[in-house]
Amino acid sequence: MHLFAIYTVSGIVNGMIYAAVALALVMIWRATRIVNYSQGAMAMFTTYIALVCIQHGVPYWFAFVIALVTGFVLGAVTERVLVRPVESRTPLNAVILTLGVLILLEAIAPMLFGGQTQSFPAPVSNIDILVGKIDFYFTPFGLLTIGAVLLMMLVFFIVFQRTTLGLRMRAAAFHPEIARILGIRVGRMLTIGWGLAALLGALAGMLTAPAIFLYPTNMDEVLVFGFTGAIIGGLDSPVGAVVGALAVGLVLSYVSGYIGSDLAPLGGLVILIAVLMVRPQGLFTFGRQRQV
Amino acid sequence: MLEVRELTVAYGGVVALDQVSLSVPEGSITAVLGANGAGKTTLVRTISGLVKARSGSVMLGDQQLLGRAPEAIARLGVGHVPEGHGIISELTVDENLRLGGLWRRDRGDQRVAIEEAYELFPPLLTRRALHAANLSGGERQMLSIGRALVARPTALLLDEPSLGLATNLLALIMQRLKTLVADRKLAVLLIEQNARSALSVADQAVVLSLGRVALTDTADRLAGDDALRHAYLGF
Repeated sequence: MHLFAIYTVSGIVNGMIYAAVALALVMIWRATRIVNYSQGAMAMFTTYIALVCIQHGVPYWFAFVIALVTGFVLGAVTERVLVRPVESRTPLNAVILTLGVLILLEAIAPMLFGGQTQSFPAPVSNIDILVGKIDFYFTPFGLLTIGAVLLMMLVFFIVFQRTTLGLRMRAAAFHPEIARILGIRVGRMLTIGWGLAALLGALAGMLTAPAIFLYPTNMDEVLVFGFTGAIIGGLDSPVGAVVGALAVGLVLSYVSGYIGSDLAPLGGLVILIAVLMVRPQGLFTFGRQRQV
Repeated sequence: MLEVRELTVAYGGVVALDQVSLSVPEGSITAVLGANGAGKTTLVRTISGLVKARSGSVMLGDQQLLGRAPEAIARLGVGHVPEGHGIISELTVDENLRLGGLWRRDRGDQRVAIEEAYELFPPLLTRRALHAANLSGGERQMLSIGRALVARPTALLLDEPSLGLATNLLALIMQRLKTLVADRKLAVLLIEQNARSALSVADQAVVLSLGRVALTDTADRLAGDDALRHAYLGF
């Protein structure tokens, strides 16, 4: 029971990070029908930028904001400069291009920041919180991770559902041609969408590095698990992505806890295959009417 | 005044529009009639910038529209009700209407324009919070026309609004349109296969045949002249 609680908490905390990545993937998928494989590498890169800032005496939270802002810029520039020119071709071109960005960023990072594994500071302690004598297995950093991702999700929900910018972005994603004849600058909406997705990725990067350290490929696994979560949810559903990513986090945590950490990725693969066999469209694609 | 001059459009090597000229004065409806494949939809899609022209000109007032992006053309005052209505079924009725004029600076007038759209098509009001996927064919057409009007366009392009509509509903929508054109001094280009319905509201008619203008005349004369009607419209 004691171990179960530990594994559950760590599964939820990791799952929230995967959820941020999964949500970022879903945003880009919905807008452009592209799976952005460079999502993780971008997050790694912005985390390095934050680390350099911190090493030069910038306060942690200021560096945190810098990471998010550079994430936005990196995502927006990638869309505008690299993805846009190939967008009218088959989607595979753009997907291969994002793989290229992944390789490029992971090659540049060691040149700029050094290839060795570096420790990354956490803004709060990573030791369990005790209430009286009872241990709830949550660390302050774990709570910060959950809170930060939840807060960001809330902000994104408000932006997409309650603001005119969000309405324009949804229209551009659902029906670009109609959006254009209504006077919406669809290209600009896509740029902003990629920027926001990369910002969400940058958040995941900042929350990942203190636990697993920072090195040029440190986000590769996170990307794979986030992607698995998004696929389980159906790639088209933000809610599905979050639920799927949390499920992946929990399964990985139980498998690595009870069986062995080497088998954890296999556990993720098993639920992916199981879900795809039962519901190839993902778990959360119901209720989405297609246009006749 | 919307003025199309010697417009030529080709898809690959196939000429879809060949030296098409027509004009739509403000406060009037010009019907564009013709069989399937005559180039009617290509004509409106070229005017709204979705299809690139090979040569010619499209003027709205003193503004050249050709060569501009669709979003820029919309902002110059061209409203486009696309074939098959083009409402966004994943969004609510209200969101669809708001999308009509999101680019406009005047937020106050935007709200007024949306309320006017609901007054024009009252069935939409009771459905405003529903996803547009739940609307009937007629309501979708109303939503699409209402959405185009929210931007307060000076020219309105309607691509086959009769498609899939019951006759009485179509008559109602056409009647609304007719009053609107007079009130707002709109220049309306009405694409139709249903020539009878189109001629009943239009001031002028242009018959397209295989991408060329076969005939330009007043709607009354075309509707009244049996020989012309038989020759060009087949009824």
